[in-house]
Amino acid sequence: MNHQTRVYESVFEMLPTEENPSPIVRINRLNPEPDFRMYAKLEWQNPFGSVKDRAAWSLLSDLEARGELSAERGIVEPTSGNTGISLAGMASARGYKTRTIVPNKVPMEKKVMLKMAGADLDVVTDDLCPSPGMGDGSINLAKTYAKSQKSRYVMPNQYENEHNVNAHIRTTGPEIRRQTEGKITHLFTSLGTCGTVTGCATYLKEQNPDIKVYAVQPSEGHDVPGLRNVSQLDVSKLFNPDLIDEILEIDFELAYTRALELCQNEGLFAGPSSGLIFEGACQIASRDKNGFGVMIFCDSIFKYVSNMVKHIPELSEGTTPPNAK
Amino acid sequence: MSEYAHPEVLVSTDWVKENLGKDGIKIVEIDVDTQQYDVGHVPGAIGLNWETQLQNQVRRDIASKEEFEQMMRDVGISNDDTVILYGDNNNWFAAYGFWLFKLYGHKDVRLMNGGRNKWLNEDDKELVAERPSYAASNYTVSEVNNDLRALLPKVFEAQQGGHNLVDVRSPDEYTGKVIAPPGMSETAQRGGHIPGAANIPWSTTVQGDGTFKSLGDLKELYGSKGVDFAKPTIAYCRIGERSSHTWFVLKYLLGVKDVRNYDGSWTEYGNLIGAGIEK
Ligand SMILES: Cc1ncc(COP(=O)(O)O)c(C=O)c1O
Repeated sequence: MNHQTRVYESVFEMLPTEENPSPIVRINRLNPEPDFRMYAKLEWQNPFGSVKDRAAWSLLSDLEARGELSAERGIVEPTSGNTGISLAGMASARGYKTRTIVPNKVPMEKKVMLKMAGADLDVVTDDLCPSPGMGDGSINLAKTYAKSQKSRYVMPNQYENEHNVNAHIRTTGPEIRRQTEGKITHLFTSLGTCGTVTGCATYLKEQNPDIKVYAVQPSEGHDVPGLRNVSQLDVSKLFNPDLIDEILEIDFELAYTRALELCQNEGLFAGPSSGLIFEGACQIASRDKNGFGVMIFCDSIFKYVSNMVKHIPELSEGTTPPNAK
Repeated sequence: MSEYAHPEVLVSTDWVKENLGKDGIKIVEIDVDTQQYDVGHVPGAIGLNWETQLQNQVRRDIASKEEFEQMMRDVGISNDDTVILYGDNNNWFAAYGFWLFKLYGHKDVRLMNGGRNKWLNEDDKELVAERPSYAASNYTVSEVNNDLRALLPKVFEAQQGGHNLVDVRSPDEYTGKVIAPPGMSETAQRGGHIPGAANIPWSTTVQGDGTFKSLGDLKELYGSKGVDFAKPTIAYCRIGERSSHTWFVLKYLLGVKDVRNYDGSWTEYGNLIGAGIEK
């Protein structure tokens, strides 16, 4: 494989590593503090389109190495979309089947994308009145498949699997250190399975304990796919608050409006979780004045057109001829 | 578990495992999300659907005595079977089923503590996809315990005093900030709560693993909200499922004598013309 000429023998050679990192790109027009450098790490440049390529590859290679997969026995996994898209794309390319379980509020684009990537899809109703011990509908259904149909399914379980964290210790962390020549002072991430924040923070703080790690969470009642409010985090066994310097709660509508601003001012077609992270980073930049921040921009906006239109209805105006009946 | 007023109506997941397949024991799963049963359930468990089987399909009402009887005959439950109920969402609809079984006079019915999720997360517990089939029974309902149910006149009577009214919904539903949890199709015209009701969300009665809190903790919880265990009590929620869970806690764990489930709940009350509402 040659990362210079970018000629690859299979899609797997394109997966991100220290030698083939996802790009980091500086924020220019929207940066509130000239002395606070802000770089976005564009995870949608990964071959299957999101940060989840890293976790998915780590989970899948582990299952393969342990001989858990075959033509008859595939993967079942709960997902807000991205992990499932990465897993299904990879599994299809290797001849395994995938079944993905998503909550209903996942946007249509992602549901259809999962099917196009070759996954079977189950949709569960959203959790109505969360409480301790109730778990999460999509995780529970995936566990049910894995338990009742062991010969057909194995469940990597990104919410509990250390290989999710390891992916970021092995790749994302070292990439950031090398790309910033160790100058990073602030890392900005979100909280979903918490693989990203726990893995990156573990690696970066080991390199330099002064690096501060900030995580954003959307306000309660949100519909930002992939993210969890702290009240929904008890299923994320990889969450380690000791590695996070501060958790910022941000009005979830800002996920959508900030994403649109990034599209329209920076040429960065970032998705809503990136919008939320960007808002958090702007708040800290304005407070700290000086620094070198890196934001993990998990995926692009293409999979969220329906959500964008729902939150910013003006976007659908003028999309049909004016005289159409 | 033995400290509760009626410990015999609660069994552990381990007890269920030890008693799988025994004659005279029927296990029944009732879920909010009915796909869960279809994909996998406790070996031998019968699945009942709250929407299509536990309710009358024409009127807004619970399954009638005749419908309940027929359902029991069809799935093969006999009058002297020990029925063990469990379900998702910490036994919401399993508790609703428990209430219905008691209303129709079933003698030995019990709830599996922690519900489906506890079983699912225990490594030594199995799930299967195959549906069981049992020979039809000749089930008969010989008593109907309507004193377990609050109809609207009883709810008005309770507002005159001398009763506890317990609203088990989330604080946002209680204060009228939302009429129902997001995405629910059954709602009401108005938000708020029945005047005089105390807000004690059903979820505050369970621990991290979904099992019920200790007797001491439950006494303190309800006591601190002004519930007088000597008074007749009515529990309600949105459509009567979360309140069945609390009805079970009050009647069987705390031993309150006169507890009724108001199954009409907010989707009935919040639609009434002229009824008093507090926010
Ligand atoms: C769009 C998006 N943003 C953020 C996250 C959160 O990443 P993590 O699960 O590593 O915490 C996810 C994870 O599903 C995601 O899909």
